[in-house]
Amino acid sequence: MLDLAYYLIFSFALYIVGIYCLATKRNLIRLLLGVEMLVNAANINFITFAAYAAPGFVDSLGHSFAAISIGLAGALSAVALAVVVLLYRRYGTLDSDELKQLRG
Amino acid sequence: MFTLPFDLLLIFTVASPILGWVSPKQYRAKICGVFAAAALVVVGVALFGLYQDVVANAAVYLPSNALNFATLRVDALSIFMTAIFLGLGFAATIYSIAYVENSGRTPFYFTLILALISGMVGIVFAGDLLALYVFWELMSISSYALVAFFKEEGTPIEAGFKFLIMSAAGSATALFGISLIYGLTGTLNFEGLVAALSGATPNAWIYLAAVFVFVGFGVKTAVFPLHTWLPDAYSAASAPISAILSGIVIGPGVYALAKVFFTAFLPIQTAWTLAFAVLAVVTMLIGNITALRQTDLKRMLAYSSIGQVGYMLIGFAAASQLGLTGTFLQFFNHALMKGCAFLCAGAIIYRLGSRDISGMQGVGRKMPLTAFAFAISVAALVGLPPLCGFPGELTLFSSAVQADLTWLGVALLLNSVISAGFYLRIVYVLVQPVSSPAVEKIKESPLLMLIPILALMVLIILFGVWPDPLVNFAGDAANALISLGGNP
Repeated sequence: MLDLAYYLIFSFALYIVGIYCLATKRNLIRLLLGVEMLVNAANINFITFAAYAAPGFVDSLGHSFAAISIGLAGALSAVALAVVVLLYRRYGTLDSDELKQLRG
Repeated sequence: MFTLPFDLLLIFTVASPILGWVSPKQYRAKICGVFAAAALVVVGVALFGLYQDVVANAAVYLPSNALNFATLRVDALSIFMTAIFLGLGFAATIYSIAYVENSGRTPFYFTLILALISGMVGIVFAGDLLALYVFWELMSISSYALVAFFKEEGTPIEAGFKFLIMSAAGSATALFGISLIYGLTGTLNFEGLVAALSGATPNAWIYLAAVFVFVGFGVKTAVFPLHTWLPDAYSAASAPISAILSGIVIGPGVYALAKVFFTAFLPIQTAWTLAFAVLAVVTMLIGNITALRQTDLKRMLAYSSIGQVGYMLIGFAAASQLGLTGTFLQFFNHALMKGCAFLCAGAIIYRLGSRDISGMQGVGRKMPLTAFAFAISVAALVGLPPLCGFPGELTLFSSAVQADLTWLGVALLLNSVISAGFYLRIVYVLVQPVSSPAVEKIKESPLLMLIPILALMVLIILFGVWPDPLVNFAGDAANALISLGGNP
């Protein structure tokens, strides 16, 4: 089994990529993908820590948390995509810079 | 399954769209609204029964025989928070009956309000971080949908999307922090966390987990610099939703921060008290000073909510029983005061059709009851003595002085003075003589809007004149949290 540190480096890297995506992208769908990356980084952490909880065993708590959080992320995406569809119908664009009604 | 009041709340939530579906179309809003309001009353009665159990046993666990595997843990703090969630939720629901129109989507509006309240109640009932996170998402997802609900106008959708992205990124960050806590301790139960981490030598991972959890829950609490979504979302949402969001949705954020920092992160308390003290001052200054510059009534109230969050953080910085009492008291009072202020603002905007403060000259002469309630609520928000804002701010001030953070107390006083600058300006504008034809036409708010406004106003005065029961209750709530952390 690989050292725990490799998995943690991976999940932190995924988290940072997600934040980078949220900070720089302007496409609404890409912003959502950024959020999903953050959730998945956390899920990987749960799975990793569950596997390393005790030698030879996995902790079911971490697995159940990951499974539930995948479900919740699905619910979030459904609502978010509905909002994106409404925005697209209204403004005809997916570029966040063109949504300029709100400032300040 | 999840204690009687919570079970009832979930059942009513699921039942309300079905009721809306079978009810005749022209009465849908009324039927669903009355149903939701009645549901909240029934849940309130059931909550009182649960409260007696909690008083007898200090805390109710579920499943009842497994102390270390509890998924729900109800103590005095949970009951305290739930009482205000149900109370303001009830006021906003009654108000909504007058506000929303009959349409095919209307029943879902009340379903979402009930789901939002269920989520918040679940958060304060949670006994471990897994349950807390699940209900956190229930609350968050309903609130995104509610902000974007009136999709005919563009702004609510846009604000809803901004709110959604920031808040969802926050939830994910909190989840990341929770995963680190899980990795550190192997448990998610609050009592287990205290046992696993008490006496632990602080290492970099605890600090890292604390930062992630703080950022995650801080987004919903609107702590500086994570507050930028708040003014858009609050001002774009409809009035009853703004009242719920501003009045009580910051509550779960404050609660989750308090719950995690006063249990899991007690070993590094010296580090985070100072951080919270600095953040409290910056948050209240940013909120109040930006509010001074606003010309939109709802945006001004939204920014002043950020200032109020700054006041609540003082209790974290003081990190004492008195400080937490002040935080919870301020939260309770803020829900009444800001809830009332947002409902009044909504009623004025509903009649006038404009949100610009300068166009509101003379509104107080045309809508005297609404304007009077508004004046009372903003005077309470400033913290004037015979009203309910005063005991909360006084408790926070004395806790800051007691914790040798006198500068923090002075910052609170200064901010109250700054906030008087914009709150009283609105009252001044409202009582001016009528100057525009738009104001000439308006009349007093509809009865269904007036009832919750006046009820909240009476509570503001009542808890200001006679604060003892509320202060004692908040003290019990703070004790429950302190004793959970095992810190005398």
